[in-house]
Amino acid sequence: MAPMKGLTVFVADLRKCRSHEEEERRVNKELANIRVKFKEHSLNSYNRKKYVCKLMYMSLLGYDVNFGHKEAVELANSAKYSEKQIGYLAVSLLISEDSGFMRSVLVSLRRDIHDTNEFNVCLALCAITNVPTREIAEALTEDILMQLLSPASSMFIKKKAALCLLRLFRRFPEQTRARTWAARVIPYMGHRDVGVTLSVTSLATALAQQFPEEMRKAASFAVRRLKSLVIDREFSVDYVYYKVPAPWLQIKLLRLLQYFPAPSSADLRGQLLNTLRHIIDVSQDVPRELQQMNAQYSILFEAINLGIHLDIDQGLMHESAMLLGRFITSRETNVRYLGLETMSHLAAYIDSLAPLKRYQGVIIQSLRDRDVSVRRRALDLLYSMCDVDSAKPIVSELLRHMATADLALREEMALKVAILTEKYATEYSWYVDVMMRLVSLAGDHMGDEVWHRIVQVILGNEELQMYACKISLQTLKAPVCHESAFKVSAYVLGEFGHLIANASDSAPIDQLKALQSKMSATSLSARAVALTTIAKFINLFPEIKTLCLRVLDRYRSALDAELQQRACEYYALATVESQDLMPTVFEEMPPFPERQSALMSRLLKQEGNTEDQRTWIPGGRDINRKHREQNSSQQDLQEDIPESAAATDPSFSEVPKELDEQAAADPAASALTPEEQERIAKSRKHYARLLWENDGILYDGDEIQVGLMAQYKPPAGRIGVFLGNKSAAAIYEISVHAFIKQSESKSVDCSALEIQLSSNQSSLPESLMPMAQSRIYFDVKCKQMYSTPPTLRISYTLAGAPSVLELQLPVTAAHFMDPVTISVNDFFARWKQLGEATVGGESQAVLKTPFLSSGTDAIQWLRSVVGGMGFALIQGADPVPDNLVAVGIATAEDAGRFGCLLRVEPKISHRMTRVTIRATNETLAKVVATNIGMVFASH
Amino acid sequence: MTIKYIFLVSRQAKIRLVKWYTMLSQKEKAKTMKEVSQLVLARKPKQCNFIEHRDTKVVYRKYASLYFVAGIGLDDNELLMLEIIHRYVEVLDRYFGNVCELDLIFQFQKAYFILDEMIMAGELQESSKKTVLRVIAQQDETEAVENSERGWGDIKYVFANLTHAIYIIARIHIYVFLMYSTLANLVDTY
Repeated sequence: MAPMKGLTVFVADLRKCRSHEEEERRVNKELANIRVKFKEHSLNSYNRKKYVCKLMYMSLLGYDVNFGHKEAVELANSAKYSEKQIGYLAVSLLISEDSGFMRSVLVSLRRDIHDTNEFNVCLALCAITNVPTREIAEALTEDILMQLLSPASSMFIKKKAALCLLRLFRRFPEQTRARTWAARVIPYMGHRDVGVTLSVTSLATALAQQFPEEMRKAASFAVRRLKSLVIDREFSVDYVYYKVPAPWLQIKLLRLLQYFPAPSSADLRGQLLNTLRHIIDVSQDVPRELQQMNAQYSILFEAINLGIHLDIDQGLMHESAMLLGRFITSRETNVRYLGLETMSHLAAYIDSLAPLKRYQGVIIQSLRDRDVSVRRRALDLLYSMCDVDSAKPIVSELLRHMATADLALREEMALKVAILTEKYATEYSWYVDVMMRLVSLAGDHMGDEVWHRIVQVILGNEELQMYACKISLQTLKAPVCHESAFKVSAYVLGEFGHLIANASDSAPIDQLKALQSKMSATSLSARAVALTTIAKFINLFPEIKTLCLRVLDRYRSALDAELQQRACEYYALATVESQDLMPTVFEEMPPFPERQSALMSRLLKQEGNTEDQRTWIPGGRDINRKHREQNSSQQDLQEDIPESAAATDPSFSEVPKELDEQAAADPAASALTPEEQERIAKSRKHYARLLWENDGILYDGDEIQVGLMAQYKPPAGRIGVFLGNKSAAAIYEISVHAFIKQSESKSVDCSALEIQLSSNQSSLPESLMPMAQSRIYFDVKCKQMYSTPPTLRISYTLAGAPSVLELQLPVTAAHFMDPVTISVNDFFARWKQLGEATVGGESQAVLKTPFLSSGTDAIQWLRSVVGGMGFALIQGADPVPDNLVAVGIATAEDAGRFGCLLRVEPKISHRMTRVTIRATNETLAKVVATNIGMVFASH
Repeated sequence: MTIKYIFLVSRQAKIRLVKWYTMLSQKEKAKTMKEVSQLVLARKPKQCNFIEHRDTKVVYRKYASLYFVAGIGLDDNELLMLEIIHRYVEVLDRYFGNVCELDLIFQFQKAYFILDEMIMAGELQESSKKTVLRVIAQQDETEAVENSERGWGDIKYVFANLTHAIYIIARIHIYVFLMYSTLANLVDTY
């Protein structure tokens, strides 16, 4: 290997620089020099390579290098291997994925991937992995797959091709169309070369999480391969790592199996259990050498994880618990760390916590470990292994540590204590005591969620209130009172102060004085809470009204706008001459509706889609069970949100059959958690609303919000999609894509609607800041009547986690409708005509419309719905005044125009409505019926 | 196992090699590396080799004056990552012959090529030392053949060899004065 002289000299020069400024000067000089050289036409390839290397080195040092892209691409195009290699390296280090140069890179990639020289193929595969782009995924996936599957390609190429596919699949799951080929890679898990097996197993693991059905066979391959490694000891010497055979492959296989249920065949199950036992047995003796120990233990921990997942042998679990108990007292920090981590996993699934409780003392000790990483794991474990019996000691230990815990850990600790206390409280006094101590100790380190939650719980439990009042007053009277504790106390006294007003030392005047004494030392927001409490006092205790008014009066001139406003308003309220104003305004707060605690949602965060999913999360048994179910149902959910909307209304006779079946065949629908059901209901509502209104929200999630603004000029239309970032971080790599889902039964539909991005608009920005909004337009053109609305797919990356959102677009055939006015006579003539005609179709449905009870408002609403859907109402056509008749004409570019007559007959007494549609096109009639059904069902 | 990034950082917080396996903006990458470097450099010996940084588990190991740092998923196997790092160092050591920080500075492109041969797409591709070294040796051979094929190459080739000599002298020079510690020999074993 011959290093380049210029590069060596340059690197040495930079190393000689004594100061940062000096280095910067040298770099700038070199950058200027290279710019000049690149402009010369006579630049030979050796020099080009050298300068590109220099640029790479400078970018490595952290300098901004934004030129030389063309030269990098030229090198990649070179016929010489060494230049090509540097070229591709520079492409991966210097050029970003969205650069225009990636097009030209694609050209050389396409050539190299079919090169006869296997080195060039390897380089191309490696380059694709480093800078995958959408175009590459679309253009080259097939070719890469062939490199993996072809018997002609060598094992070097095979393993690279497998990982290359993995990268493309993770990044662009759609473009790779992995479902179609997933199963074909499985046999390569049995390849004799460990490198190939390892790479293919990585690929299979990712695929298995998305397509468990297609990848079913991978599990048996994994079991057999594992057995041959561990028990039969069949492996090449090259792959023994410090006496451990192919540890990486073993772990990959163990991990893959965690994404599958336990094997159903007794033979396989036996083999797997034997293998796991063998691994655990081997680990009983402690290896001497560090590397061997690491490798061996990492396999052991993964094997225990798998054992926990399979959940078929409690004996194995207890044995694991014993082994882990030894590890958590180990002198090796790494082993302690991993022991604690794996034990939390165990605690999350084991039937009885008894084998773990023996180590409770040791674990609590670990909260004082020298290493923050270990302390964190200990906290997770204590949180996971907590149950009703051990809650009290664990919580009190955690509280004891709170004061000394490091700042980074304190917030999490506080959150966990709050959750555990609420979950396992058996006595009210205990809950209140612990929480009050918690806010006093850790108030600075936790969000407002914690004290909000305390107030919620107290409001919801009557038995708690009196005791909470007593403690609150005590807290206020104590010499020091933390801000959050002050807020809770103030709120509680304001609501329930009267409960203790008769006890000694807690007369209204005492309560007010206690509050006032701390008020001056607290922050503005806490004082605002206190002002509200004082206003409530006026209502609760008329006897101290003058005193309270005096306080409010003082704050009427407060500098802070919020305080001033509150004080003025409350003062005005209290001085109005009215008997029932105050009691009405300050009526006791109703208990909060039961919902998922904000604390829990803070602990559990969403994850990406094609990244490896977590197999477990810290926490008890129930939460992990739920986590598993969610993971399995997530995928089905995304796909048919609007479909299930129509299917849930059984009285609706005209629902197209396939929709019904789809929903019935979806096993996930029955296993939904309340939050998911709520989410579906919400998106159903949004969708339904957009069926008769042109602008509105289509999706409103935790991370992003999608709005829609549509303009139709049948048969064309323009759909504006608005994306808003609702999260606290920037969103990257946004792409929005609209298409028509192809299904076997309705192939006609694909050409019925044209939907594409509008030309001459600026593309989406690279990133979307929090609270920022961006928009993109689609042009649609209706060619024929169709029944399946198009799908909008939004993919983006938030905090490194890619997400994909699929929404059905409310752009149905019925949207291409114009109102027409015809006379009453004409209407009935056509109505009759269509009723008898053989072409076209009629749809009729009787829908439940519970909202009809409100009388004229509801009828007015019906009118606006029908109007909004593009129909013209015909006045006075029907003898019954509440009935509506309306006419519209839908236009399709190829198929022509179709008339559509509509009759809506609400029956207020039965809260039912009959809807009849007669149209010259059967599909149109059905679509209109489906749409109206959805609108009614979600009103 | 998904490796999100690997980077090498010296005790003076100089980055020696970076490889990202996830897509992030340049700014984001720089920020992450800075934060993680600070975390890692502040760790004391005898503490474990893992630390959490946002939603990533950071696995690091110190070899002489150089820290090898990798970010992996929260659920991934840390010990194994630690051994991937070690294997990488072993291969570097075999290739350069008692590798030291300086080799990685002057021949950073080679360090990249070796890394690419071992890890792709954030997954371990090849764990056999022999296989990796064989591929790299073949690459070098190809390069040597190409160099000798250059039309006016003879002079240049001699020249290149000269440079190599300069490089070796520089290396020895700094061996003596600065860092005669090679990486693999000084694996901080704990």
